[in-house]
Amino acid sequence: MDMTYATAAAPTVAKRKRSAFARHIVAYLFISPWILGFLFFTLGPLVFSLTMSFYDWPVVGERTFVGLDNYRSMLFEDQQFWESLWITVKFAAIYVPFNIVMSFLLALMLHHIRFASGFFRTAFYLPSVISGVALVTIWSWIYSREYGLLNFMLSFVGIDGPNWLGDPNLAIIAIIIASLWGLGGTMLILLTGLKAIPKELYEAATVSGVPGWAQMVFITLPMLGPMLLFTFITSIISAFQQLTIALLLTKGGPLGSTYFFAMYIYDNAFKYFDMGYAAAGSWVMFIIVLLLSLGVMRWSAAWVYYEGEVRQNDGDGHA
Amino acid sequence: MLNRKSIIGSLLVLAIAGTATARAEETLRFATWDTDESLAIQQEIAKKFEEKHPGVKVQVEPYADGYDQKLIAAFGAGNPPDVMYMWNFPQYYTSLKPLDDLIAKDAAEIKPDDFPKGLMNTVRVEGKTYGMPSGFTTQVVFYNKDMFAKAGVEEPKDGWTWDDLRAKAAKFRDEPNKVYGFAVDAKPDPYDFEQFLWSNGTKYISDDGKKIDGYMNSDAAAQVLDMFGDMAKKQEAITLNLGDDTSGSTLFKGGKIAMFQSAMWSKSGIDASGIKYGVAPLPKFGDKTAHSALGVSAISIAKDAAHPDLAWEFVKFFSSPEAVVMRVNDLPVRTSVAEEKGMTKDPIYKPFFDILVTSNTETHAFLKNANWSKVQDNLARAIEATMIDQGNAKQHLDDAVARSKRLVK
Amino acid sequence: MRKTLLYSALILLSALFIAPFYWTFMTAIKSTAELYQFPPVFWPSEWHWENFAAAWNKQPFGTYLTNSLIVVVLSTIGQLISSSLVAYGFARFRFPGRDPLFILLLATMMIPWDVKMIPLYMEFNLLGWINTLKPLIVPAYFADAFFVFLLRQYIMTVPVEIDEAARMDGANAFDIYWRIHLPLMMPALVLVGTFHFMNAWNDYLGPLIFLNDQSKYTLTLGLSMFKGLHEVDVTSIAAITVILCLPPLALFFVAQRYIMDGAVGSSVKG
Repeated sequence: MDMTYATAAAPTVAKRKRSAFARHIVAYLFISPWILGFLFFTLGPLVFSLTMSFYDWPVVGERTFVGLDNYRSMLFEDQQFWESLWITVKFAAIYVPFNIVMSFLLALMLHHIRFASGFFRTAFYLPSVISGVALVTIWSWIYSREYGLLNFMLSFVGIDGPNWLGDPNLAIIAIIIASLWGLGGTMLILLTGLKAIPKELYEAATVSGVPGWAQMVFITLPMLGPMLLFTFITSIISAFQQLTIALLLTKGGPLGSTYFFAMYIYDNAFKYFDMGYAAAGSWVMFIIVLLLSLGVMRWSAAWVYYEGEVRQNDGDGHA
Repeated sequence: MLNRKSIIGSLLVLAIAGTATARAEETLRFATWDTDESLAIQQEIAKKFEEKHPGVKVQVEPYADGYDQKLIAAFGAGNPPDVMYMWNFPQYYTSLKPLDDLIAKDAAEIKPDDFPKGLMNTVRVEGKTYGMPSGFTTQVVFYNKDMFAKAGVEEPKDGWTWDDLRAKAAKFRDEPNKVYGFAVDAKPDPYDFEQFLWSNGTKYISDDGKKIDGYMNSDAAAQVLDMFGDMAKKQEAITLNLGDDTSGSTLFKGGKIAMFQSAMWSKSGIDASGIKYGVAPLPKFGDKTAHSALGVSAISIAKDAAHPDLAWEFVKFFSSPEAVVMRVNDLPVRTSVAEEKGMTKDPIYKPFFDILVTSNTETHAFLKNANWSKVQDNLARAIEATMIDQGNAKQHLDDAVARSKRLVK
Repeated sequence: MRKTLLYSALILLSALFIAPFYWTFMTAIKSTAELYQFPPVFWPSEWHWENFAAAWNKQPFGTYLTNSLIVVVLSTIGQLISSSLVAYGFARFRFPGRDPLFILLLATMMIPWDVKMIPLYMEFNLLGWINTLKPLIVPAYFADAFFVFLLRQYIMTVPVEIDEAARMDGANAFDIYWRIHLPLMMPALVLVGTFHFMNAWNDYLGPLIFLNDQSKYTLTLGLSMFKGLHEVDVTSIAAITVILCLPPLALFFVAQRYIMDGAVGSSVKG
C-alpha cells in the first residue's frame, strides 16, 4: 500500500550534503520508541507463534513438526473453522457500519450542544468504563427470558418476549446490541475530530449560501476523513477479535450461533491445549484482517483528505 | 508541579521496592482455582504448614476463573508453580510428577487405604498416580423444606426415582410467580452429566476409549436427554443456561425452585441464605442403581518444581487428616475423618457418601481418550439442542457422533 | 424547537447508556432477598451501604488499589510520551521505509493475544519480570499502535503550513513537536490518556498472566476473584464495579472539557 500519499519522486536535489540516513536520522529518532518496542516485545512473539503454527504443540509434552498440517486440516477438515469464520464475518458486517454511523450521529448531536454537554459525553462513555465481568452480568440480566428487564418491559405492551440469548437466530443480534453499547470510545474520537474542524470553514460556507447538507458533504465528511478511516479500521479489528462478551454471555451458544472466530482460537489454545493449531488460526485471522484493512486503506484514498499531508518537497523532514 | 513530581517519584520508588522484596526464605508456590471461603481455608492450611516448617513461605496463588489460561502460560514458558490444584490430569500429566514411589515410601504416614478407591482412580493416568485428592464432592438433590411443607408434598426418600421427582416437581409450578419444581441445565458440564448415562446403564465412550457410536448415541442415552427435555416441556423444570446465566443455586436460594441438583460447592451459599433445606440422593432410573460423578480437587507437583522435596512435604500435609479436617467447603477425602466427624450418619451429608459405593465402577470419559475435550463439545451441543427442541435427543446425539468420528479413532 | 428535539433525543438515548450503571449500583446496594425478586426491584426498600465496605474488605483491595495506581499512572505517562513522538514521526516526515513500517505498525494491532502470551511470558521470565509490575508498565514506554495511529490521523488534519512557518522562524523538529504539535494535539492526547487509563485500569489478562502473588494483584484480578468456578458473588461484583468506575469517571468528567472545548485548537487555527 502506498498510503494516501502522492507517489511523487523524492526530491532530486538534496538541499544539504548529507547521507540518506543522516538526513533522516531525526525521523528515525522520533519513531524509535516504537521500533525498539517492536523488536523487544512483538517481533519475538510473532516469530515464535509462526513457528508454533507448524508444530503439533501441546502446552505440555512432546512437540512435533507437522509442516502445513495445522493449516490444511483447519481449512479442509474442520467444520468449526468455517462456521466460526462465517459468524464473525456476519457480526463484522453489521457491527462495523452500525458502530461508525451511530457514533457519528451521536458525536454530531453532542457537537451541537453546549448546555450539559459534559454530562452527556460522560453518560455515553459510561458503559466503556465498566469492566467486562460486570458488563456481562448486567446484559444477562437484561436479556433473561424469565426474569429479564427487556421482557418485563415488553410484557407491559402485551408482548411475550422471546428468549433473546437462547434463540440461535436472536443471540447474535443480542450480542451486536451489547457490543454497540460500548461505542463511547468511537464517538469520542469522532467528536474530537469534529471539534478540530476550523469553524471558519462553516462560516465562509454559510456566508456564500451553501446549505447545511452540502456543508456536511463537502466540509464535515472530508475533514473528518482521517478520523473516520481510523474508526473504520479499528472497528474491523475489534469485530474480528470480539471475544469477551460472547465468551461470558453466551459461551458461543445457543447451538454455536455465537461461536466467534476468536473463541475458536481461544478454545483451541485453552480448552484443547493445542497451541500449534491455535497459532495457525491466529495467523489466518491476522491475514484476513490485514487484507481487509489494506483494502479499506486503499479505498480510503478516494475519500480521505489530509489537510496536513506532507507533499513533495516538504518530504525531507524539517531539520 | 512539585506536588505532582513527588507523587510520581514515590510511585516509582514503590514500583522499584515492590520488585526488590528480599528472598531470605524458601518460597513454595501453590496455585489454586478456589476463591472466597475455600481460598481462605487453603490459606489457613498453608499457614499451618509454614508453622511446621520454619523458614518456608507458602505463596498461595489464586487464579480463579483464569486458572487454565494462567497455568498454560506458566507451563508453556517453563515457570510453573511448585504445587497446584489439579483435576484435568489427561491434559497436564506429562508435566506432572508421578507420585507412586513417594507414596509407597511414606505409606505408613499417608495410609493410602484411608482414601476411597473411586477418588484415587481420578488422579491416575496410564496406571500412574499424579496427584493426591484433597477434597471431593458427589452430586445430590437439595430440596426446600418450607416449600415442600407449604405445598403439602412428601419429601424425597432414599431410593426415589426420576418418576417420583417429576411427579413432585409438577406440583410446584406457579406461573405468575415464576416458580418451578426443579431446574434442568441446557449446558451441563458433560463431566458431571455422564452420571445420568451411568445411572441408566450406558456411558459416553467404550472403556477402551475407541468407540462412541452405540454409547453416546445409544437409546439409553437418548432416553436420558429426552427425559430432561420433556421435563422442560411439561414445565416441571425451568431450563437453565438457555440464554440466561441465572444459576440454579440463585433460584433455589430465592425460593424459585423447590429442588436443585448440585454438589457441595452450593452448600455454603445455601446455608448463608437461611433456607431450611434437606438433601436427597440422586434419583434412580427405574430400578437401576444411581451413579454420581466425582468432583475431586487433587493437588499435584510440577515435574520441574523448583522445590520438589518441599513440594512433596506440602502435598502430604495437604492431604493429611489435620488439613483435611479443616476443609469444610467440600467433603473429607479420608474415610477416617468423615467418620470421626459423624458425617456419614448426618442426614445432610449422608447422601453424599452413600453414593460413593458405586463410584468405583465407572471411569470418566476424559480419562479414556486424549481427544475427549473436542468430542465433549459436540456432545454438549447435542444436549443443548435437545433442550431447545425439548426432545429429538436421538437425532442430535447421532449428529454429535458423526461430527466426532474424525476425533475418535 | 430544534434544540428541544435534540435534547429530548439525547436524554432518551443517554438513559439507555446510564441504565446499566444504575442497575449495577442498585444491585450492589440491595438486600440478598431483593436481588432475585420478580418483577425486578428497581428501587430497593432498604439501602445496604455496608455492602460496599463488606466487599472491599473481603480481599486486600487496599493493596490492589496501590498496585493498580502504580501501573496506571506510570504506564499512562509512558504511553503519552512515546505515542505522540512516534505519531509525529510518522505524520510529518518522509523517510525510506516509512510506509512499510507504518503498515507493520498497523499490523501489530491485529495479532491475537492468545498466541503472543506464551512467548511474552518466556521473555519476561528471562528478564526476571514475572510477578512484578514491570510487564504492565514498561511496554507502554514503547508506543502502542492504536494510539500512534490515532494521533497520527489527528496530526494529519493540521495544515503543514504551520510547521513551515515555525521552521522559517528557526525552530528545529523537536521544537515544532514540543511547542506546536503537542499543544495542538492536546484534545487527542487527553483522549489517548483516557483510553489508556481505562485499558490499564480494566486490564485483566495481563495481570492474570504476569502476576502470581496476591500482594501484587491489581483491582481487576480482585474483582474476578468474586467469580468462582461454581458460585458467583453478584453483590460483591456489583459493589466493587461501582467503586472501580468512580476514579476513571471522575477523571473523564474533568478530562472531557479539555478534549472537547477545543480552547487550544481553535486559537492556533484562527
